[in-house]
Amino acid sequence: MNIKRDISTTTLSSFTLSAFFVLTVLSILLQNIPQKLFSAGDSLLKLNSDQGVANAVTTVVVYFRGFDTLGEIAVLFIASFGIGLMLTSQTHGDKNKVKSNFMLQLGARLLFPIIILFGVYVMTFGHLSVGGGFQGGVIIASAVLLMFVSSNHFHLSHRVVEVLETFAGISYVMIGLIGLIVVDSFLGNFLPHNISQLGLLLSGGIVPIIYIIIGIKVGSEMSLIVQNMLQRSDND
Amino acid sequence: MIEGILEYLNQTEVIKTIVILGSMGLFFVGLFGLLSQRHIIKVFISIGIMEIAVFILFIGLSFQKGLTAPMLGDAHTSFVQMNDPIPHAMILTAIVIGMAVLALGISFAIEYYKLTGKNRLDQMNEMKH
Amino acid sequence: MIGLILLGTFIAVIVIAFVAITQPKLPDAIILSMGVGLAAVVLFVLFQAPDVALTEAVIGTGIGSLIYLMALKHLGEQK
Repeated sequence: MNIKRDISTTTLSSFTLSAFFVLTVLSILLQNIPQKLFSAGDSLLKLNSDQGVANAVTTVVVYFRGFDTLGEIAVLFIASFGIGLMLTSQTHGDKNKVKSNFMLQLGARLLFPIIILFGVYVMTFGHLSVGGGFQGGVIIASAVLLMFVSSNHFHLSHRVVEVLETFAGISYVMIGLIGLIVVDSFLGNFLPHNISQLGLLLSGGIVPIIYIIIGIKVGSEMSLIVQNMLQRSDND
Repeated sequence: MIEGILEYLNQTEVIKTIVILGSMGLFFVGLFGLLSQRHIIKVFISIGIMEIAVFILFIGLSFQKGLTAPMLGDAHTSFVQMNDPIPHAMILTAIVIGMAVLALGISFAIEYYKLTGKNRLDQMNEMKH
Repeated sequence: MIGLILLGTFIAVIVIAFVAITQPKLPDAIILSMGVGLAAVVLFVLFQAPDVALTEAVIGTGIGSLIYLMALKHLGEQK
């Protein structure tokens, strides 16, 4: 390939000029990087000491930005709704599916309660250590995925998922409204929270309760996404 | 010699420069894939890589050398000398939402493929005529 | 030391991403894109963000692989 024939001189020179311009701007910008780019976190970290929660990320997700988390859960619900709308199948093609390996069946049956237990642990201890509702919910959904892969007859009851999801959504909003009535702010922390109780399972007032609710909601929605995507593959 | 290089790389400005240039490179690798590949799964993979680049940039800019994770533990009993928790919280929710929206897009692509039998971007030309 | 590790991990993640994108076989591209997620987990741990690292590990390799592999099963034939 001859560069001079295939690419015109105007293109080459303008490319060189723009690359030089970008590099100049970048070098000027990179020389003047401030030491600390964000400063809102320090005041939040100071406020954090009043909540009795060891993990500051949990406090930001659930308490300081709790209303945004409600909106994000709504986005997740709409995505799950759309996938169910696109991929729902009328018939369950369980008949012509290949029976899976015996070792896979046994291993999945052994691992399923352990993974569920780990997901519940990550969900419940979200205010004391790494983890929380989002991660725990997705871990539970991956356990459900393992059962779907191994067993032909495993099926999530729509009734149960519907009840869990409705309960989680309604109780999130209800806790927020109770906080609005009692403490004068939406999602206000109306339960007793004290820094002296730090390390107990029920420290931090409403923070662990709301994270468990988020975990139930995320887990049921992700499990529904898994079921919809796998069921579509059965019947064609 | 080696100590000098390590010392140079450990400066705060150099770390920030590595973060910015590296995530920019990853973003442009994803953009290159988005523009050059025609298969729709490759396009989704490229979008996922661009998402990861943005996450890395956001977390990396809030990182300061010498500060710990925003979490109390055995050695830390008060909320001082810790990283900023706000970018962590925002990116944590963005990852979950991003994957759900990616699943929604792939379900649209699957239905489109069932209807028309096309899975490449250069074949999708219904709007042209 | 952290600067050198950061530099190496960034080079690794960019190389893995480029190989994943220019890969002609689709299953290899999907597995390599999971590798990009794992390298991002290493970066998040280096940046002192363990929550984000846990989320990316669970999502990127658990549910993400399912979604990509389902897409591969349905619209996989490359001409």
